[in-house]
Amino acid sequence: MIFPFTAIVGQEEMKTGLILNVIDPSIGGLLIMGEKGTAKSTAVRALAELLPELEAVEGCRFQCDPGGKLCGECQEKNRMGGPLPVAHRKMRVVELPLGVTEDRLVGTLDMEHALQKGEKRFEPGLLADANRNFLYVDEVNLLEDHIVDLLLDSAAMGVNTVEREGVSFTHPARFILAGTMNPEEGDLRPQLLDRFGLCAQVVSVREKESRMEILRRKAAFDADAGRMAAAWKKEQTELERRIKEAQTALPSIQPGDDALEKIVKITAALSLDGHRADIVMMKTARALAAFRGKTAVEAGEIRDAAALALGHRMKRLPFEEMGAQAEKMRGLLDGI
Amino acid sequence: MSFSGFVGRDDAKLALVLNAIDRRCGGVLFLGEKGCGKSTLARRFRRLLPRGVPFVELPLNATEEGLMGGIDLEKTIREGRRCFQPGILSRAHDGFVYIDDIHLLPVEILALTLNVQGRGENLVEKEGLTLRHAAEFQLLASMDPAENFLPPHLLDCFGMAVVWGKITEAAQRAAIVRQAMPDLFPESPEAGRRDRVLAERIGVARSRLAGMKISAGVEDCMAGKCLESRMAGHRGDVFLFYAARAHAALMGKDRVEPADVDAVTPLVLNHRRRQLPPENEPEQSEKREPRPPPENNPKDQKSAAADRQSHPGGDNQGDEKTLPEKRESLPMEAVFESGEPFPLRRFHYRRDRIKRGSSGRKIKSLSRDKRGRYIRSAERGLDGDIAIDATVRAAAPLQRLRGGDGRLVIRPGDIRYKRREKKVSHLAIFVVDGSGSMGAQRRMVATKGAIQSLLLDSYQKRDKVAMIVFRKDRAELVLPPTSSAELASRCLRQMPVGGRTPLSAGLLAAHDLVRRMGRREPGLRFLVALITDGRANHCLGGATPEKEVSKIAGLMRELPSTEFLVVDTENKAGLIRMGLAGRLAAQLAADYCRVEELESDRLISWMQSKKKNESEAESLRR
Repeated sequence: MIFPFTAIVGQEEMKTGLILNVIDPSIGGLLIMGEKGTAKSTAVRALAELLPELEAVEGCRFQCDPGGKLCGECQEKNRMGGPLPVAHRKMRVVELPLGVTEDRLVGTLDMEHALQKGEKRFEPGLLADANRNFLYVDEVNLLEDHIVDLLLDSAAMGVNTVEREGVSFTHPARFILAGTMNPEEGDLRPQLLDRFGLCAQVVSVREKESRMEILRRKAAFDADAGRMAAAWKKEQTELERRIKEAQTALPSIQPGDDALEKIVKITAALSLDGHRADIVMMKTARALAAFRGKTAVEAGEIRDAAALALGHRMKRLPFEEMGAQAEKMRGLLDGI
Repeated sequence: MSFSGFVGRDDAKLALVLNAIDRRCGGVLFLGEKGCGKSTLARRFRRLLPRGVPFVELPLNATEEGLMGGIDLEKTIREGRRCFQPGILSRAHDGFVYIDDIHLLPVEILALTLNVQGRGENLVEKEGLTLRHAAEFQLLASMDPAENFLPPHLLDCFGMAVVWGKITEAAQRAAIVRQAMPDLFPESPEAGRRDRVLAERIGVARSRLAGMKISAGVEDCMAGKCLESRMAGHRGDVFLFYAARAHAALMGKDRVEPADVDAVTPLVLNHRRRQLPPENEPEQSEKREPRPPPENNPKDQKSAAADRQSHPGGDNQGDEKTLPEKRESLPMEAVFESGEPFPLRRFHYRRDRIKRGSSGRKIKSLSRDKRGRYIRSAERGLDGDIAIDATVRAAAPLQRLRGGDGRLVIRPGDIRYKRREKKVSHLAIFVVDGSGSMGAQRRMVATKGAIQSLLLDSYQKRDKVAMIVFRKDRAELVLPPTSSAELASRCLRQMPVGGRTPLSAGLLAAHDLVRRMGRREPGLRFLVALITDGRANHCLGGATPEKEVSKIAGLMRELPSTEFLVVDTENKAGLIRMGLAGRLAAQLAADYCRVEELESDRLISWMQSKKKNESEAESLRR
């Protein structure tokens, strides 16, 4: 049993960041930074319950999108016999544990098949499972460098290419990267940091009443998880519905030049590297508008999108200067 | 031997009993010197547990495979398909894992163990296998506080912590000796009976948990205590609640009362406090001190006071009201915020590395380097550094297919290489004079600035930084070795200064830190920066402070792989110049610079040049 997502007290930035990635998976994932014991992992795991259904090619090992890019096997099937059978399945959260080996991540030769049938076949790894799903890395800053390299590789291309043990194979690997980390345990490599579309900072709740509420809900969940789930059923269903509606509404939201100008003004003033920040901010603001039931992107959405999309992209500076930069960003946001 | 017969240590026993009652209490960490019975008590604790509750000891040499599980070689070769061999943690579900001397456990093994414990489940994805099994266990561990390198976030994983203080009372010591020699002093059968009674009581308490009610005010009281401790996250609240509930159950009550919370608060919260309450030490001892050194002259005091005024909040003692005359005769205590302005020059170490890397020299020197601890295997690695175990595992399932007639057939694709850990190459230790003498603030600010720059810029976070402050009557490791800028900022946010100058204590602390870290991580190099005017006015033993300093300096000079820099903070414009720091530099064969130079990022460039020299010398040796 997983703690209900809607029962997490506060931490709105983190919850919104996750939801926006469900609404628009192209935002590029979420990194959650914060101390231990602030419901980071709980939130990601709890998200699974709210995830919508996807259309996928039936029987495909990579959950290919019938309307999108297909894996080699589906392409073959398509050529041979017309339309592909479509199945509906729920989007998932696939976990990438620390200490994962290369072969389990990217896939490898199917040993048993090779032994029994004497023919080589590809045995998919976690990247195959993660296609069109969330890929969740707990303590992502502790992940080994060579695993990070592989992740970055396929995250950039949206494709996993395997050349090993005499098997060569390519399959789509578009996943939403969700990571949690405690910055006290060490930093994240800058390339990986930038790969996360959004970043949410979580801190412990310092307000007494909320703190008591957190404890009450945790104790209630520990005592009887089933009862807790039933008690939060209504909230869960409601949020699920809102996410679905936002997904449907998203294509109709056309951000105007006005919104674009505001975004560019902020990113230019902060002199950020590259253009990823601008693009991510635009997508985030748009998904936010859809989630809030609006038909256009307004200043409020841009402000909230900036908080999620820019924090981890600002230049790293000594602590005192960091404060000054935060001040500057506040000024910029107030200006829009 | 019985649990109940164990002499003293009531808080440790209470912590264990509460954990036996409710596993949600989150385990216990024992902090105490060697040989005070921590493991003995933990092992006797087994006697209280119902039959069948696992109690697994985690050996310090445990590998990742052994811990989490991996391929079962024999079975895999025999059956021609990958078979899984469960690890130590698979036996721990619903029970206890005991780690003796947790500070000696390799950090990545500890991180994995805590990761599994935190999720209550073990998930392994390796070598073509997926394994997932429940692993809800409580950790019991012992640690020598002198080796306290456990960063706070790892300490926080423990539900409770108990400090084992020194027992000096003669009767109690005698009783301990007696119980340690059961052959000579047999234990009375009474103790065994008491264990059985206690075990029964634990069982009864456990059955009470579900129906336990909460008195009014308990939640409020808990939240208040947690907020006041300023701990990180919310786990402490949860641990506190379950500990208080278990305590109430143990006491035979049917509702948790504030008294239960009070009883368990020290166990649960002491090790989580992130900001110690302000020191309320009596100022008497300070007042009896001799007059501060001559350079504590009114002019500097005035500028220091001006500095303080321009940075309100940098002074927690509210001493604005103190008259300047009084200030002169009293080494003040003040806390300087880390946010003091200091002209930080950026540390261009990164660019330098990349340049050298592209010339190929750095890469080459790495490729021949087989030092460092073998932590796990990978498919790509350094030529010749083959991980035999992993290679055999990779080849194992294919043996039947390859038909080697009982001989192992290994193909090039099977070969796995060793991944070695050599993350840390340098530890920079800053030893800073925190006494009330002139320029304390300047020293602190400069040092903090240097630490920040080092941590923010050190490429790939190979380097670690530590800081020792000596003041009053002792030296304190205010920043344990870390590569986290986050942690450093938290530890250095508040840095009290004031009091006498125990220089020898500072030197000794640095010496011990180098020795200990050298043992822990062979191959680590040390850069020790001493920021002092060389003056000492408090000593550890009976000798004069000067003699003590030169004796310890002699010891330090003998330390391997250690370089020194003395940053002289003596006011060279002052009337009396002693040049003591220069003498200390000579004793240490150290580089020397004046504090004025420090502000033009001398510290950082010094570190940089030392590292460069070393890596050049190293590549020449090859």
